[in-house]
Amino acid sequence: MSKRQLVALLALLGLFIAIYLTLYKTGVIAELACTSGSCETVQMSRWATFLGLPVAAWGIVFYVALLGVALAGLQGSLADSRAVSVALVAVTGWGVIFSAWLTYLELFVIHAICQWCVVSAILVTIAFAISWLDLRDHRMSDTAVSA
Amino acid sequence: MVKKQAPPPKRGNPKAFYLVLAAVAVIGAYFLYMQTRGGSSAASATTIDPNVPLPKAEGYLLGNADAPVQVVEYADFECPVCAYFATITEPDIRKRLVESGQISLRYMHYHIASHPNTWQASMAAACANEQGKFWEMHDAIYNAQDKWAGIATRKPKGVLKDLAGQVGLNVSQWETCFDTQKYQPQLLASQQDAEKRQVRGTPTFIIGSKMIDHNMSYDQFKAYVDTAMASAKAAAPNDSAAKKGT
Repeated sequence: MSKRQLVALLALLGLFIAIYLTLYKTGVIAELACTSGSCETVQMSRWATFLGLPVAAWGIVFYVALLGVALAGLQGSLADSRAVSVALVAVTGWGVIFSAWLTYLELFVIHAICQWCVVSAILVTIAFAISWLDLRDHRMSDTAVSA
Repeated sequence: MVKKQAPPPKRGNPKAFYLVLAAVAVIGAYFLYMQTRGGSSAASATTIDPNVPLPKAEGYLLGNADAPVQVVEYADFECPVCAYFATITEPDIRKRLVESGQISLRYMHYHIASHPNTWQASMAAACANEQGKFWEMHDAIYNAQDKWAGIATRKPKGVLKDLAGQVGLNVSQWETCFDTQKYQPQLLASQQDAEKRQVRGTPTFIIGSKMIDHNMSYDQFKAYVDTAMASAKAAAPNDSAAKKGT
C-alpha cells in the first residue's frame, strides 16, 4: 500500500470517529462507547464547540478534505505531483496542531480524556508522519530527475 | 560518475486499496447505523416484567393520570442526551400527545454516578414541585445545563437559585427546602425504583409494555405510543363495548 493510500485509509477511519461524535453531540446517539466515562464530560464542555459548530463536525470537514486530497493524489498525473504531497503535509499538520490544542484542553482545562478524541489525534499524527515521508519521497524523486 | 536516479514513489495496488477502503466504509457505516438504533434492534426495546406495576404516586406527572397510554421517563438532569430530548423533542410530545390526552408523561429521577451535580439539580426541581412548578423548573434546568453541570461549576446552587427566581418561585421557601434536602427520601426512592426496573442509563422510557433505553425522535416515540395504544385497545374490547352500551 502506498503512503497516500495509507493516508486516505486513516482519513476514512477518522471520518467515522468524527461522524460518531457529531451524532452524539447532536443527540442522535444516546450514549458513547467510552470505557473511561470521560467522553461525555469532554463532549459537553464549552470547548466542544468551535465557531458555533461542534468540534466533531469540524472534524468531519477536516477528514473529508484530507480524504479528498489523498484520493486525488492517487489519480493519473497527480500521482507524481509534489503539490499534493505539500497539501497533505499542510492539511495533516493543521490537524496535528488542532489535535494538540484539544488534547491540552482535555488534560489541563477540562481534566477529562475522551478516548475517541485521543484515537483521532493519533490517526492525524500518523497521517502527518506518513505525509511527511511522502513529501520526502517526491522531493528526492524530483531532485534526481533534475540532476 | 553517474548519479543513481531515485525510484518514483511507490503507488500501491489500486484494486486492493479500494477493496480495503470499501470494507472499512461498510464496517464504519454499519457501526454508525447500529449506534443510531441504540444497539441491536432487539436491545432497543425490551418487554418489561408485568409483575412490577408502574409507579402511581411517584415522580412528576404531566397530563391526565388516566390517559390511555402512560409514559414514564427515567432521566438525569445532568445527562446531555436527556437535555437534548427535553429541549428538542419533548415540546412536540407535550403539544401533540400530552395536551391531546393520548398520553401522560411521568418524570422519574435516575442519577448517573459520574454526574457530580445531578442530585442537587433534582433537589432543585423537587423543591419547585412543592410550589407547583416542577415542569417550569425542569425546563429551566435542562435549558441551562451548561451553566450548572459539573463541567461548569462545583457549586451549582447559585445558578439553580437564579433559575428558581426566573420561574417565579418563592426563592426563600425554595432555598430552605433545597438546603435541608427535604425531598432526599423521594429522590432515593426514585433511584431505587429505577434500579428495580433495571434502568441502566438515561433517558430510559417505559411506553406500554416496552422499555426503551435510548433517545428517540418524535416519530419513533409516536410509533411506540401507537403500538401501546393498539395493545391497550385490543386488551380491553369488552370494556369499551360495555361503556358504549350504558
